[in-house]
Amino acid sequence: MDKSNARLGWLFASPYLIYSLIFFLFPLLWATYLAFTNWNLIAPDYEFVGIQNFIEAFFSESVRAAFFVTYKFLGMFVPIVVGGALLLAMLIHSLPKFKGLFSVAFFLPYLASGVASAIVVNGILSHNSPFNIWLRGTFGLDIDWLGSSILAPLIIALMMAWKFAGYYALLFVAGLESIPKDVYEAAEMDGAVGIKKFWHVTIPMLYPSFYTVTILAVGLMFGIFTEPYVLTGGGPDLSTHTWQLEIYSQAFERLNAGYGTAIAVINSIVTFGSILVFRKILEKWGAKHGWE
Amino acid sequence: MAGNNRLKLTLLYIVAFTVLIVMVSPYLYMVLGSFASWDQVDRKIIPTEFSLRSYEWLFFGGEGANARPWMRAFFNSVFVSTTSSILMIATALLVGYSLAKLKFKGNRLINNVILFQMFYPAVILLIPLFLLIRYFGMYDTYWAMILPKAVNLWAIFMYTNFFRGLPNELLEAAKIDGASQWKIVWKIVLPMSKSITTIIFLFVFMERWVELLWDMLVVNSEEMLTLNVLLAQMFGPYGGYPGPMYAASVLLTLPILILFIIFSKNFKKGMQFVLK
Repeated sequence: MDKSNARLGWLFASPYLIYSLIFFLFPLLWATYLAFTNWNLIAPDYEFVGIQNFIEAFFSESVRAAFFVTYKFLGMFVPIVVGGALLLAMLIHSLPKFKGLFSVAFFLPYLASGVASAIVVNGILSHNSPFNIWLRGTFGLDIDWLGSSILAPLIIALMMAWKFAGYYALLFVAGLESIPKDVYEAAEMDGAVGIKKFWHVTIPMLYPSFYTVTILAVGLMFGIFTEPYVLTGGGPDLSTHTWQLEIYSQAFERLNAGYGTAIAVINSIVTFGSILVFRKILEKWGAKHGWE
Repeated sequence: MAGNNRLKLTLLYIVAFTVLIVMVSPYLYMVLGSFASWDQVDRKIIPTEFSLRSYEWLFFGGEGANARPWMRAFFNSVFVSTTSSILMIATALLVGYSLAKLKFKGNRLINNVILFQMFYPAVILLIPLFLLIRYFGMYDTYWAMILPKAVNLWAIFMYTNFFRGLPNELLEAAKIDGASQWKIVWKIVLPMSKSITTIIFLFVFMERWVELLWDMLVVNSEEMLTLNVLLAQMFGPYGGYPGPMYAASVLLTLPILILFIIFSKNFKKGMQFVLK
């Protein structure tokens, strides 16, 4: 009985095992090797160049741009999306009726393709759009939104916040629903009301949701491709040039497969390290409030 | 006091409704823009004159450009996303069941490896995967878009957690009645996981539908492009024709929205599990 179970277990798990062997483990090893070569995707011959790719990447302006742009996106996107999601969640939570309807409606932006939202944003911000005409007419402001290296990243961060806020809000709603009523009652007895109650009871009690949402949001920022690729092409002045754009353009536009892979390796190390740091910070904050 | 409360509630719903309008306004703007007459696209927030010119232009071409294979791209997207998602569900169902219910050596290890893989930055695999696809001779075929996306780790993870919660007694009883494990999965487990399957399908389908980078890399000829890729390619060249661009965006967005609204009855129940 047990033996047949074991065989069946391996059999049922085999799609995953075969897949991982071909599409994960093998490419992973190959990538590690490629990163130390100078292959150009086409030529039959290539050489082993040691750590030259990594040195080159270290001094490359566009790689450095990708590195800093990601943290810039992070600094804009994470506060906006976490704050926005929390507000949406509190709104949903406080409604006595039609909770489901509003959660579903707020979730709808998550279904948008980055390409479609780039088209809409491009239209709304085009030079003669009603919005820009109004700005020029009322305030005399003539703003080249996507041509500004400060505004362009902000616009992309806002687009992504719009897309993800409703989704993350559901995580916060689940968190809010799990706070026991007697915690609030005890806090009220101690004289905590309004903002104080929110700050000292609700926020710390939501720690698990904060943790999940923040880590998801941080992870997302290391994989941005669609929005800047379509909307800004990484510009102006590399201000929206993300890791993925850098890897794509190195490997598939300039055909430096070896160098591109080296950048991908660096990117995955940076991603891993950054997420680890964020986790530690969050865990520390959680521990302060009694979460393990 | 009661009146005060009612006022508060009314205000609350007004706020909620306003937020709702703001959240869906980009969709509304897109739909209205696709039906607006051309001199009003991006010139009026809410157009007053409507026409089907943008759709006509998109499908049959017109001044400025020839028609592109939008319907073909739409078909490609449907075909690739559906096949991929069904494969992801089928494999995740089996793998999840084996990890949760069939105790075998290595079971634990596989579980941990999956968790590790889920958090591993996938971008490092991009270039070797592309080379692999080229080496297999799958470049510019449906295989290239489907096979590397036939297994989804998140789906496996979700199913494993869900199946762990299913009572063993029920499965044991079925086994004593002589049902094979295949039959148990097909006849008992699958029907019991309807809402979670709906939600997993929705998520993986959506993710597959809006994929850009991979579909852009492995496909080249015009009749193989997915809708998302074709739309991204046309962003520059059709820049002077915002109406048709909105029409194409509607074509890309509407199916997902409809799919979602059809399944939204199961959404809440399934989400409760996904969010745990």
